[in-house]
Amino acid sequence: MEIPYVVTPRKDTGLFNSKIAIWLFLASEVMLFGGFFSAYVFLRLGADYPWPERTLPVLPGLINTFVLIGSSVTVVFAWASLKLRNWRMFQLFMGITVFCALIFMVLKGIEYNVKFHHQAVRLKDYTVMEGHLGYEKELDHNGNKVEENLIFIEASKLTYSTRRFHKPWVDEILTQAGHHNSKVVLAADVAVVTKEGQPAEVIAKAGEPLSAELLRRIEKTRLAASSHNSALRTASLREEWVKAHAANPDKKDWQIASGVNIDTAALAPKLLTEISTVAFNIEPPARLDFKPRDIKEADGQSRLRDDTVVDGKLLASPMVFHNVDAIDFQHLVMKAKEKGIDPEVAIENSWLIKNSPFAKEAWEWHQGEVAKLEERLIKEYGLDKSGKPKRVPTHKELYRIGWKDFAKKAEQQHGIKLSTMDALKEEFMGPNYDARNPHADQAHAEGEHVKETFPHFSLPREQIGFAAKFTPAWNTYYAIYFTITGLHGLHVIGGALVLAYYLFFGRKMYLENPEWLANRVEIGGLFWHFVDLVWIFVFPILYLM
Amino acid sequence: MADTPEAIKKSVRTYMFVGGILFIGTIITVLVASVEALDVGEHGFDKWDCILGLTIATIKASLVAFIFMHLNHEKKAVYWLFASGLCMVCSLAGLTALAIFDPIHDPLFFGKESTTPKILASPSLR
Repeated sequence: MEIPYVVTPRKDTGLFNSKIAIWLFLASEVMLFGGFFSAYVFLRLGADYPWPERTLPVLPGLINTFVLIGSSVTVVFAWASLKLRNWRMFQLFMGITVFCALIFMVLKGIEYNVKFHHQAVRLKDYTVMEGHLGYEKELDHNGNKVEENLIFIEASKLTYSTRRFHKPWVDEILTQAGHHNSKVVLAADVAVVTKEGQPAEVIAKAGEPLSAELLRRIEKTRLAASSHNSALRTASLREEWVKAHAANPDKKDWQIASGVNIDTAALAPKLLTEISTVAFNIEPPARLDFKPRDIKEADGQSRLRDDTVVDGKLLASPMVFHNVDAIDFQHLVMKAKEKGIDPEVAIENSWLIKNSPFAKEAWEWHQGEVAKLEERLIKEYGLDKSGKPKRVPTHKELYRIGWKDFAKKAEQQHGIKLSTMDALKEEFMGPNYDARNPHADQAHAEGEHVKETFPHFSLPREQIGFAAKFTPAWNTYYAIYFTITGLHGLHVIGGALVLAYYLFFGRKMYLENPEWLANRVEIGGLFWHFVDLVWIFVFPILYLM
Repeated sequence: MADTPEAIKKSVRTYMFVGGILFIGTIITVLVASVEALDVGEHGFDKWDCILGLTIATIKASLVAFIFMHLNHEKKAVYWLFASGLCMVCSLAGLTALAIFDPIHDPLFFGKESTTPKILASPSLR
């Protein structure tokens, strides 16, 4: 069967069909991306924290912009080559286009990867610290590195939910207890009624060791009991409704509904035991460690995400930064101003300044730099009519000490400088800790961190207000950043796949019906231009504003 | 649209020219955002930087749409489709904007007067 209007235009629209289709699709894409851009605007206007302004590395974004613009030019050249029936040139230009898409995605991958491994933490007083955490010596049960960000509990008792215990965690706890030569055993006999009207029977005895199989056995009993009891309750309720209807023939259901109830007293002897939790003792109590995302920790009684309750003392569980690369007081200042407190006083009294000699020294150095900047701005731009400086430092310049500031400080004070190539690499990969901390081992051994560019810092758990990697969890800026760039990245992949298909599998069509292939490339090209068009807005909005 | 070989060859030169403008536009955008001497308005990012940045971006995007995507000589149907999508976005964003820029918003409606700037006085954004 011949497909109509793939080459010749339809009379009513004046276009070949796939062109109408792609424009319909692009119109829906305009609405999709438009929606996200407007979400960005409203999130920014309504943010209750200092919006991270000009926070992304510009160089990778700039290169990606060049790459996409370049590919937009080459894709239109590829189309023109087909129109001129020049297959070789088509291959060349389309090849460059697909290669550009690859470069774009590699750079985006690097950018994402750096963010996923970069830790941010907001202290309880709203000071923000950023950097990289260290790793524990031992790997976890999957052989993955474990960050020095564990929560330690001297656990004496575990109470499992029979509804949603997570088997890998059960096994993990058993392994950990084993390391400490501790046993995890059932605290008391589990006695349940398993048959209607029969006395309770012991299905697991006190002292029985913890295992996923044991929990599953208890869970099975609970499920059977739950199913049995539900059936009884339903039957009882039905019966009550029949009685109620017979007693009130003229009334509507809603009028009698409040009087229709299950007779719980009559039902009680028939019910089976639905055991919801089961407790185990750890003998002797052992230090168990948990990843922060798996537990809501508390001294005395903590709770895992699978509803397992861990009884025991919360031990010191610091979050260990091997490299702090930014200290940010912007949020603290915002909160201080809301309360009418002088920002400088608030910073001087912040927990970090009082507890970290490095932070104190860095803040003093930063104040000196800000004073120099203020002086320079007055010198270069002068004062307005009312005697105020025409240009003043931004909120970010005043209250954030970023990694480039740390690098500048170390360069000024300790002469630590990087080669041009290393410095260029930093623009893509973030700060180079090894090169900028040449005396790290010595400094660490002597407990002297002030000579480092990026200091080691152990943050007590109780000071942490909120912690996350630079992922959508950190704040709404990163949420919308990942949403827009992720969605755009998917478009790049999708578009590149289509264009690559024309490149590698288009030869046959070119020989049979070159105009049809040219039209197809035009359609693919239209989509590709749209991807470029979106990036033209994404780049300045997310990277430069 | 350019369909004859001569017309296509001619338009290729236009594409190269437009590509050049797009590159230059991008460099200008980065320079005005990073070089202090070219910074418009106040020091650092402010509304004037936003307006300038978005203006350049809009010009670049228009060039892509009109030249590369051939919107400068398309059929009516395409204009209708594209414009309707654009109108939809603008009107929905406009409706959302009412949550912030509502002319009849009463700051005392929820009791205490808001201490947040007027632009953020909408309860949904506080």
